[in-house]
Amino acid sequence: MKRNRATFYTLNALPGILILVVLFLIPLFFTFSYAFHDNGKALVEIFKDEYTYRLLVFTLEEALLSALISTLIAIPLASFFSKYTFPLRRTVLTLSGLSFTIPSILVVLGFVIWYGNNGLLNAFLMKITGRDYTTLQILYSFKAIILAHVYLNFPIAFLLITNAWTEMPDTPEKAAYTLGAGRARTFIHVTLPRLTPAVLSAFILIFLFCFSSFSIILVLGGNPAYSTFETEIYRRVNINVNREEAAALSIFAFFITSVMLIITSRGRKNQRATRKEKTLEKAKGKTLVVAFLLILLILLFILPPMLSIIYRAFYTKAGDFTLRAWNDIAKGSTGLMSTAMSGIINSFLIALLSSLLSVYFGSRIALASAKRNSRILPVISSMPMATGSVTLGLGFSFLAATVGHDSIYFSYILVIAAHLTIILPFAVRTITPGAKMIPDSLAAASYTLGVSAFRTMRKVEKPILSPYKRKAFAFAFALSLGEVNATLTLSDGHVSTLPILIYRMISSYNYQGAAALGTLLLAEALIVFAIGEGGRKHAIS
Amino acid sequence: MPYLEIRKLEKKYKDFTLSASFGVDEGEFLCVIGPSGSGKSTLLSLIAGLDKPDGGTVTIDGKDITKMKIQERGIGMVFQDFTLFPSMNVEKNIQFGMTEKKAEKKKISDALLSLVGLEGYAKRSVSSLSGGEAQRVQLARAIAAKPKILLLDEPLSALDAPLRKSIRSSIRAIHDALGITMIYVTHDREEAFSISDSILIMHDGKTVAMGTAEELYRHPKDLFTAFFTGEGTALPAHLVFENMEGSVFFRPENAVISEESISAEMYPMHVVFPDAEIISCEFCGSDYILGLEYQGYPLLCQSATKPRRKTVSVMILKESILNLQ
Repeated sequence: MKRNRATFYTLNALPGILILVVLFLIPLFFTFSYAFHDNGKALVEIFKDEYTYRLLVFTLEEALLSALISTLIAIPLASFFSKYTFPLRRTVLTLSGLSFTIPSILVVLGFVIWYGNNGLLNAFLMKITGRDYTTLQILYSFKAIILAHVYLNFPIAFLLITNAWTEMPDTPEKAAYTLGAGRARTFIHVTLPRLTPAVLSAFILIFLFCFSSFSIILVLGGNPAYSTFETEIYRRVNINVNREEAAALSIFAFFITSVMLIITSRGRKNQRATRKEKTLEKAKGKTLVVAFLLILLILLFILPPMLSIIYRAFYTKAGDFTLRAWNDIAKGSTGLMSTAMSGIINSFLIALLSSLLSVYFGSRIALASAKRNSRILPVISSMPMATGSVTLGLGFSFLAATVGHDSIYFSYILVIAAHLTIILPFAVRTITPGAKMIPDSLAAASYTLGVSAFRTMRKVEKPILSPYKRKAFAFAFALSLGEVNATLTLSDGHVSTLPILIYRMISSYNYQGAAALGTLLLAEALIVFAIGEGGRKHAIS
Repeated sequence: MPYLEIRKLEKKYKDFTLSASFGVDEGEFLCVIGPSGSGKSTLLSLIAGLDKPDGGTVTIDGKDITKMKIQERGIGMVFQDFTLFPSMNVEKNIQFGMTEKKAEKKKISDALLSLVGLEGYAKRSVSSLSGGEAQRVQLARAIAAKPKILLLDEPLSALDAPLRKSIRSSIRAIHDALGITMIYVTHDREEAFSISDSILIMHDGKTVAMGTAEELYRHPKDLFTAFFTGEGTALPAHLVFENMEGSVFFRPENAVISEESISAEMYPMHVVFPDAEIISCEFCGSDYILGLEYQGYPLLCQSATKPRRKTVSVMILKESILNLQ
């Protein structure tokens, strides 16, 4: 009977699995065929080329450093936030969750406007110091890349570690104190071992994000010396126009990412959720002052780049109020602005369609994976993560070149297919914990009432998944909305989305236009974030 | 022929094999008891069709249902865990397995809510229910689907003692009112004694004894049943009766103590253990349970008064002593 049930869930997930595998294999097949073109000459050269290994070292270096700094800053803050309760605590934690939905191109734009040599921070510093030269030179350097990565990812580490720490009952710590252990000894021997899975999980997540970082490296690095696999593949396709080399480099990067995914997935264990959370102490006196100082520090780090985007959308560099960029968008005037409105519509429609599809198929795959307790399904659904989005975009562009179809609709289909392939693994990952929480006894109870497996899934199990599906939709929508890597590599001008327009405007120093579009993208990201956070969960006690 | 017949039902796991054979009459209230891991819940899963047996048959009213789908068996189940559907309110949960028309459904679910003592709970969210209320709703939901047999898998194990007492009485009352055949799994001997018509005892995956509570308590067929149905003392038989093999067993209430020195000749109907040392004395409300030691063997006795001496004589009525293996 259990086998029958497992088969039912597998059959239900089969269309999604097939689409995922096909969408993943097609670009990979074309990439391989280009890489092995001319007896694999390009591939041999890539493996022999010292530059490939320099790319590997740099990619590892920036990803490791970004993950390390983000985690190290997050731990002491999480320690405070998981011990005390104070006004605005929940708000700061909710705001940290925004990092999951903020597109990286907005970080790039925010950094350029806020930290740039002619940025708002420098203008402010010049005003208060009375100097007539730039005080802070951050952008277009290695430190800019790390700072942007930390900016984008430290809140993720902060949120994950704080949540895990808050959920950890503090009875073992109390037991250690009664045994005479001091605070430091208790932290090292009791707290840290229990906290390690959460810290490691945050570290790995950030490391993988930064390993495939694209727009931050491309713009904020500002120098070909700061190249990762993703940016180098893009350069070889679009600047050097050497598709064979780009394909060969993709294969190399695919190999490296696969190895890393295998290593990192082995280290991760599913943690059992504990029901008994510890009671937080109310912050008073000095602790309350510390709490407000910490909040101020976090907000001063997080808010200015984003707020500066909104400010720059309405003010000129000289500080005069203007609606020029908005008028350009509305009128569809010349240059890049002429495509702004279509970019806004494109982005919205592509994100909507691909995220709806990803949640539809993702929820079925997640249910099958949880009900079968499958090991293979999570691996299959993670496969596109190993490829990297630039490689996927490259593969789809090879497909377009092979088919020789020049229709704009075909380009749209390819972009949606690429987005779906990129976001489906995230949708599955977001929904799977929800599917795992549904006890088997719930379906069993329904069956003993004479109700069919299909109706049980529809009426009993799916409603429990809805908060996870809503979260997955928000996450997938945000990812698709902010997607630059694959879209830029694949469409190269055919399909303009908001992030691509912003990227191009930054490249052509039209910061006002970029900020106006950035404001719209930020608004969309905030709406999506609110959708993901909204709604109540159906309790399973 | 019994209404429900389990014949040579078998399920093999890596370190455990369940094999069961027994029958339940129509309208009977059978309790299945046994220690943790004895296979009680597995037995229910096999009967309900949640698990597939490796051998044997399950028949209801003469019809073999062993290979039938869960949905078609007509067997309801109340689970130990919280299995109310969180996306539906109390009323919708109860109506979920019903096939009647809407108005009829409403009438039946209201009647069932009243039967389980939860009038006015129809529109309540299931997450707002207490443990006891949730189990009552589960019971109403299972009955609403009109099962031929209702299985209850430790439904009260998560509740506190006073609540368990009250709900178990309600369950028995519902059984008596509806006349539905019920199989009730519990690890609580007292619970089984208080509500069952008959009891099935399981041990290591086997059905070891079946009978009424009185039969199993007073005339257990083996030491496991004897100890599982109540407290008692087991001693090597040769210590009490010459030429007897195996063990002898007696209940504490059949052992009387005397603080005066007595000889066996004075009480020919009794076995007498002189000079037994009192090790422990537990007050149980109406009397005392004494732990004694006689020639290195532990004995349990019941006494209405608290002994003043450390050494006493123990007398056991010979006809209450059982020879068990």
